Amino acid sequence: MLALDTGAKGKRFLGIAALLVVVACLALFPFVVTNRFYISLVNEMLIYGLLAMSLDVLLGYTGLLSFMHNAYMGVGAYTVGLFLIHVSPSSVWLAGLAGIVVTLLIALPVGWVQVRTGGLAFALLTLAFGMMFYTIVWKWYDLTGGDDGLMGVPQPDISLGGISLGSSGDPTSMYLFTLFMVLIAFLLTWRIIHSPFGAVLEAIRENEERASFVGINVRRYKLYGWMYACMLASVSGGLFILYRGYIGPTTMSAFAGAGVLMMVLLGGMGTLWGPIVGAGIFLFMQDYISTMTEHWELFVGLVVILLVLFMPRGFAGLGDYVMRFKKG
Amino acid sequence: MGGALGTSVDIILNSLVLGGVFLIVAIGLNIIYGLSRVMNLAHGSLYAFGAYAGYTLVSLGLNFFVALLVAPLIIAVVGVVIERVIISPVRKRSIVYTLILTYGLMFFLDGLIKYFWGNEPRFIELPAFLRQTVPIAGTHYPVFRLATLFITALTMIGLMLFLGKTKVGLILRAASSIPEMVSCLGINMTYVHVGAFALGCFLAGIAGVIAGPLYTIDPIMGHEMLLSSFVVIVIGGLGSLRGAVLAALLIGVVQTLTEFFITDLAMVIVYMMMAVILAFMPRGLLGEGRFE
Repeated sequence: MLALDTGAKGKRFLGIAALLVVVACLALFPFVVTNRFYISLVNEMLIYGLLAMSLDVLLGYTGLLSFMHNAYMGVGAYTVGLFLIHVSPSSVWLAGLAGIVVTLLIALPVGWVQVRTGGLAFALLTLAFGMMFYTIVWKWYDLTGGDDGLMGVPQPDISLGGISLGSSGDPTSMYLFTLFMVLIAFLLTWRIIHSPFGAVLEAIRENEERASFVGINVRRYKLYGWMYACMLASVSGGLFILYRGYIGPTTMSAFAGAGVLMMVLLGGMGTLWGPIVGAGIFLFMQDYISTMTEHWELFVGLVVILLVLFMPRGFAGLGDYVMRFKKG
Repeated sequence: MGGALGTSVDIILNSLVLGGVFLIVAIGLNIIYGLSRVMNLAHGSLYAFGAYAGYTLVSLGLNFFVALLVAPLIIAVVGVVIERVIISPVRKRSIVYTLILTYGLMFFLDGLIKYFWGNEPRFIELPAFLRQTVPIAGTHYPVFRLATLFITALTMIGLMLFLGKTKVGLILRAASSIPEMVSCLGINMTYVHVGAFALGCFLAGIAGVIAGPLYTIDPIMGHEMLLSSFVVIVIGGLGSLRGAVLAALLIGVVQTLTEFFITDLAMVIVYMMMAVILAFMPRGLLGEGRFE
């Protein structure tokens, strides 16, 4: 018993140490590599990592598949952008709050309908509703700029606890802000997943029927999980628009949704850090391969197929694959 | 042109035509789901593939009606290959995996279509007599649209007879409700799964070829059709064939009407309607899994 305890504690200590090292490296990164291009790339990796992590809360922990989680990122981004343009060009936190509130107001009725249907219909409905939001954003020219996207979003000054970081248009300050927000979101999600609430979500993933027999209101917990994931997606959307200063409807397309799904698969479902790594690998590849070929779509489809067939646990399961390979 | 009567006849026939195309695609999707518990997200892309195959065959000089038979056969073969190579290895795993897998397949097939045929829209050349119009009740209606209705009806009757009257159909219906029992009676379930994919993809091919002259053929035609057929089978009840018929007609009417009056946001209205129906009947109009 004692040995087991120290083992668990040791593992936890290792995890915290690893997290600290990674965060320290990421925080020092823009001061070591001063190339703006690479700072922006890692910034985008972190933003999409947050989105992929929020999808993993649904997919890896609750067992619910959302094909177009990027739609809620888009809703958050458009709301924050419109708030900065029309209401107040300098209040970052208020804009972020508005983004979260609007996203949740939209996600609530959609989620309410979705959790009432079965697991399969849930997945199909995420696609249908996501396409609906995409169509609305695309056609509502007066509000969203339609095909052209939302342009001229102001890039306000950001401050963290009284310390001013400078304009969000500056890569390094935006990078540090993103890192801070992603770290907070990661720690919060980690805490939630390892709470009794997280255990309930995992119970629903493992066996919905049995979970309902022990008295869990399955629909309500699925809805909670859904709302939480949409909230995180909205936060990633807010970061996205602050970083880019622009968003177009393609960010909300079904193809972009497949990309997010692929990040989760690449990194490994059911681990919080996996999808963030997956987002990094995905964006790196996208950056690299789309310069060589125009058939990026063909490539994404093929990689998704191969991942599901041969590496269903993604990057996070790499150690296991190697072990199994050695054993024969 | 022909006043209110003509317009209403136009709307009624157009909704039947649209509903018919939805129906053929959705029934194919439902057959695959009912028999092998796989929701094929690549179905829309197979439909688009059917349209492109039809286009290529017709532009090679083949008669349109021959193409209407050959193109679906090609798609059916593609379906069998997909089932054997990609779907069967993950059949035992959670449904999430087959969903993601066929989603990847969808983008792969779309990529192939863009690779071979490019991005520009294509049109299927029709034989002369199908390009005319006939006067019906104060309007001039295209012959080809009437032919589409006829083909849809023929396909559905053929499917009904196949499932209802033949021994293979009997096995399929049994396999959709109690696969274990059918397997115990010495019927190889592998054939049932392969057969389901072949049949479903064949239907997608038919829909693709008849949709070619109705609408334009482009690489994203499959996405819209996939979403519409989802709406149809979710409203009708997953796996329920009769539900699909009912829902396809409903969606055909609603979409044609909203396109006539509001144009731009037709799909949004359809999704709203779906949300309302599902809020009160989460299992669809006719419930899940009635395979008849």
